[in-house]
Amino acid sequence: MTAVTVLQFLFDTYFVFVVLYFLIVNITYFILLWLSFREIVNYMHRNLFTDFRSVVQSEITPPVSILAPAYNEEQTIVESVKSLLKLAYGEYEVIVINDGSKDGTLARMIGQFDLFPSKRVYVEHIPTQAVRGIYRSRQIAYQNLIVVDKENGGKADALNVGINAAQFAHVLSIDADSILEDDALQKVMKPFLEDDTVVAAGGIVRIANGCEIVNGRVVHVGLSKKLLPIFQVVEYFRAFLSGRMGWQAVNGLLIISGAFGMFKRAAVIDVGGYRHDTVGEDMELVVRLHRTMRERRIPYRVVFVPDPVCWTEAPESVSILSRQRNRWHRGLLDVLWMHRTMLFNEKFGVIGSAAMPYFLFVELLGPVFEFFGYVTLAMLWWMGAVNVPMTILFFIVALFYGVMFSVGAVLLEEISFRRYPNPKHLALLLSVGVLENFGYRQLTMLWRIKAFWDYARGKKGWGSMQRTGFARPAAGTM
Amino acid sequence: MSLTFLIILALTAAITFLVVMAAVSLVIHKNAVARRQRIQRRLTEEYAVALTEMLMTELPSLPATAPSSARFRQYESLLEPIKKQLQSLSRRRRRIHRTALLEVMLDYAQDLTGEAADRVVYAAYSLDYVQELIAELKSRQWYSRAQAARDLGVIGAKRAIGGLTAALEDDHPDVRFQAIQALIVLVGADALRTIFRVGGRLSTWNMMGLSVIVLRFKEDVVPHLIEGLYAADQSFVLFCIEMLAEIGFVSAVEPLRRIATDYPNVVVRAKAIEALGRLGDERAEPLLLKNASNPYPVMRLRALQALRKVGSPAALPVLEERLREGPLEEKIAAARAMARTGLEGWTVLERMRKEEGTLAAAAAVQVLEELSIGGSA
Repeated sequence: MTAVTVLQFLFDTYFVFVVLYFLIVNITYFILLWLSFREIVNYMHRNLFTDFRSVVQSEITPPVSILAPAYNEEQTIVESVKSLLKLAYGEYEVIVINDGSKDGTLARMIGQFDLFPSKRVYVEHIPTQAVRGIYRSRQIAYQNLIVVDKENGGKADALNVGINAAQFAHVLSIDADSILEDDALQKVMKPFLEDDTVVAAGGIVRIANGCEIVNGRVVHVGLSKKLLPIFQVVEYFRAFLSGRMGWQAVNGLLIISGAFGMFKRAAVIDVGGYRHDTVGEDMELVVRLHRTMRERRIPYRVVFVPDPVCWTEAPESVSILSRQRNRWHRGLLDVLWMHRTMLFNEKFGVIGSAAMPYFLFVELLGPVFEFFGYVTLAMLWWMGAVNVPMTILFFIVALFYGVMFSVGAVLLEEISFRRYPNPKHLALLLSVGVLENFGYRQLTMLWRIKAFWDYARGKKGWGSMQRTGFARPAAGTM
Repeated sequence: MSLTFLIILALTAAITFLVVMAAVSLVIHKNAVARRQRIQRRLTEEYAVALTEMLMTELPSLPATAPSSARFRQYESLLEPIKKQLQSLSRRRRRIHRTALLEVMLDYAQDLTGEAADRVVYAAYSLDYVQELIAELKSRQWYSRAQAARDLGVIGAKRAIGGLTAALEDDHPDVRFQAIQALIVLVGADALRTIFRVGGRLSTWNMMGLSVIVLRFKEDVVPHLIEGLYAADQSFVLFCIEMLAEIGFVSAVEPLRRIATDYPNVVVRAKAIEALGRLGDERAEPLLLKNASNPYPVMRLRALQALRKVGSPAALPVLEERLREGPLEEKIAAARAMARTGLEGWTVLERMRKEEGTLAAAAAVQVLEELSIGGSA
């Protein structure tokens, strides 16, 4: 048996593995898409009978603490806080946690909101970095604003400080630079009020690039003129509308975005809050909640609500996007490693037997398999052993599957929330669903593969994420 | 390899077909929605004109002794043109037209009162909408049942009261809630008696919605709420306690005291304690003081929070004890209750603040700060 024959055998075996993997992955995607479709239709039906005004009008509405960690957000912090203070909800407090910013974040808030050092009691239910001071406003209009200044400890640490300082039973963690829609709080709170067993709920995060923003509010939904943010719009559709919606149907939701997630404060304190030693702290917390609840056999639900919208600024440059994706992938790797005993463990029900294996084999290792596919192809080409019609066919199938799920996600958006009413936008999103397979997808694959290397080297940082801020006039809008 | 090739070929064909179908269905859906909206708009406008004409037409006056049937004959004559038009349509088109007409009627019914409202109600009966909606209350789809319950309430179809009462025990919470709302519209506050007796579990979400409706009746609803304190379902008991506290009627004090003392469930008892505080009636003070040392933490906390509204200087020894010994939440609640008692309470708080390094001192400092900036204390 020659070396070439052995190699040929290995390639053939790998090819069969790839085809099988491809089939399983895409069947999973189909199931998720179908579950999402059913869930969204049900959600839309339920909303027909929901009068969200009662949340604002009723005296029974439970109060909420909004936690907004801020690090070097001098440019955007005032606008963001003002927008948070204008939400349509009964009683709520906004806790901004200044995570040892090196710029003028705190000074800007002190000046703008007339803050003074408060003697409010702070109890460290969850251990954190030292708190330097708590500030409240002298102005009646800002009575529900609390600013906590602390030593730098990262986002997870800042959120833990916020949880310690919160006085209400439900806490909403958001990114300080995100924009919540007026009724977002009402909508994300609803599952908690309908079902006592809900411990966490996430809302949808949408891309604000290209939207018209006035006074911290999205007044006109649009698409950026740049291609990179539009790719991300379609990606977010897939991730939120077809991924998370599908998983929540079977109580298998593992991620609630750090940019917009509501939790029962007692449950979070009970499991020890956010972990500092991972960049995937949002996913890690949700996995730990699942783990604890299932270990203790406590009935619980983690839900995704597709309607309450949080707008965020997506990276417009390749370098920033690459750092973001690298970080997300390192976070995923970290969380799966930390909770590896849950994998294929039937004690954890759907989490151990379906959700975690999916995240391991599809989300985490998918880029690796894809990368080896390209490498194998190159080697076969070099050896002159490529079956051209087969290869072309395989690529076409892969392309169409990719397009299929992008179209499916856009379809879900179209039948439900229709945030992009302009037919031109719809056409553009569909085109991007095709276009992303030529270059963009391969690029994200490489960034995610690099994350393995960085993780092995022990890289833990977030990397910088420059924001231009929402306060600027909307430029490059379609 | 040829089998693999065939499999891939088949997959390609299948996926291509699915992609094309998905894209086509997206475009068809977009167009269908636009077309349906156009047709619906046109029909709605047409029927709005027809219904307005029916409502505006002056009818010959009838003697006071005339039977209702005489009035109904007059209404029937007004409906003739609409009925004729509907009969001239094919079954499919008639369904579309009837949907548009119902939408207009529902829209009008929300704003009309008096004789004009009677005409709309009669039209709903005469055009068989009421019968259809009552039948729809038994649909297999929960949202059809919920929609029917809501529409029957908006139209004001009293014949539906039986069906709506049965819907109070529906499996789906949204159907139950729509039935509750419809019954209140049809019967008024008296409907609460039936609702509290047979209604299935009320979620906090639905409590919020119902609270907005119930509070419109103000003190008229108090007797029903007091009766509701003995409802079969605990969620209604909690709701009634909350509403009694909100309305703040003095006759609620005694029943709430009984609930706070005798109800088997501690959550309900704690809610009653909280309500007594919100009512602000000083007769509740001895009971609150007793419960400030209750073995259940939730009872202690609620009692301390309630004392913030009704506490007198007589409460100070108990409050000081909780400020020193209780967990943080109780310390803050006790400090706030102390602040309410006036000079004597402030003196104790000032003394406590000097015990630096203790949580009790921190709680006292926070409450004194709240007082100084006109905050929540």
